[in-house]
Amino acid sequence: MACQQYLNSVHELVDGTIGAIRRAELEQHLDGCDACRALVSDLQRIRDAAGALPEMRPPDRVWLQIAGRLRQEGRITTAAEPERTRHSYVAWLAIAAALVIAAGGAVMLLIPRPTTPSQSAAPAAQNSGAPVRSVETVQNEVDAAQQQFEKAISELEKVAKANQQALDPGTSATIEKNLGIIDQAIAENRAAVKSEPASVAARETLFDALRQKVSLLQDTIALINEMRKGNNAAAAQLVNKS
Amino acid sequence: MTTSKVTAHSSAVAGGGRSADLDLVERCRRGELGAFEELYRAHSGRLYSLASRMLGNPADAEDQLQEIFLSAHRKLESFRGDSALGTWLYRLAMNQLLDYVRSRAARAGQLTDGLDDASLLADAGGHKLADRAIDRIDLERAVAELPEGCRAAFLLHDVEGLEHREVSEVLGIAEGTSKSQVHKARLRLRGLLRR
Repeated sequence: MACQQYLNSVHELVDGTIGAIRRAELEQHLDGCDACRALVSDLQRIRDAAGALPEMRPPDRVWLQIAGRLRQEGRITTAAEPERTRHSYVAWLAIAAALVIAAGGAVMLLIPRPTTPSQSAAPAAQNSGAPVRSVETVQNEVDAAQQQFEKAISELEKVAKANQQALDPGTSATIEKNLGIIDQAIAENRAAVKSEPASVAARETLFDALRQKVSLLQDTIALINEMRKGNNAAAAQLVNKS
Repeated sequence: MTTSKVTAHSSAVAGGGRSADLDLVERCRRGELGAFEELYRAHSGRLYSLASRMLGNPADAEDQLQEIFLSAHRKLESFRGDSALGTWLYRLAMNQLLDYVRSRAARAGQLTDGLDDASLLADAGGHKLADRAIDRIDLERAVAELPEGCRAAFLLHDVEGLEHREVSEVLGIAEGTSKSQVHKARLRLRGLLRR
């Protein structure tokens, strides 16, 4: 049994706050007391293990929900929003175009006969040396990017829904719940874009939400594919990722 | 004594301590979403970790994390720079989480038990922990079994790296009480990990 009269000193030793005199007294005691020596060692190990616990990262959807709620409650202003370069819209257009192709690729995983990937992808993004474009041109590019995202989402949704019976009910319910949360964020952000069409941040937040949905649908289709192949380890990794 | 993780992090991220905190908060108060996202990215990892370990449930932690940051946005006017922004956020978060834990326990008809001296003495005595490394999952499970007062102090001090002075500020308790709670938590964890 550890010695109660030394408990405070033991804790101070583990905390690194013990004074010189009490340290000397305790060390003399520890030389002859196995129980207190074991206690010091264990408490130090617990403290070290606690300090090594990893920081957890919240899912991306949490920020989307927060941004959506702030907009709904009118707590975000359009003044002094951070500037974005016009190139970011071109980058979104390129990503959206790639996603339409990827959506076609995801479909090919599950459809037996060969299918030509969608040829409706927009032209590749212009490079950074392109001349400055008018506001109207940028607006058109943003609208085109949004349409490409929505087209990719529509194609992915069709495939996922058609094959969802391959998933167990628990996993299917979790995916439905996550899709519901993202759809709500998308709806809120669409309303924000509609009320503030000139707002750069509103569009960026909407694109983040659309990207999240595409990512989740692609993971769902990949999961269905892995489960059909009987690759449970890969399927488990995809479930944990979602 | 090493610098607390919280104040070191705030200074590193904001690049200059209290004045940087005040600048960021001022931009958030003006309604800049980008500024608030910067604040979120800087602090959400630690607050989510705290919430997950206080509540023992990632889904509840997500919901509470959202409420914590929305509450922070509403209360930005009250941040004066007297403490580091990280400490202020921890205090706000811990108030929210403790209220939630206590109301959940009340709904489930559970009493909030303290740790009595007799059981702590038993935890202090007996055999030592096995020589192998302490398994992270075992430790997380054991932390979830601590009474919420001890759990809060332990998470803030031993996991998040706050000094006892900061823990006392976050929890609104005396510094001596913070030490006592952390010490009790460690003893209880020793007892739980020996099972």
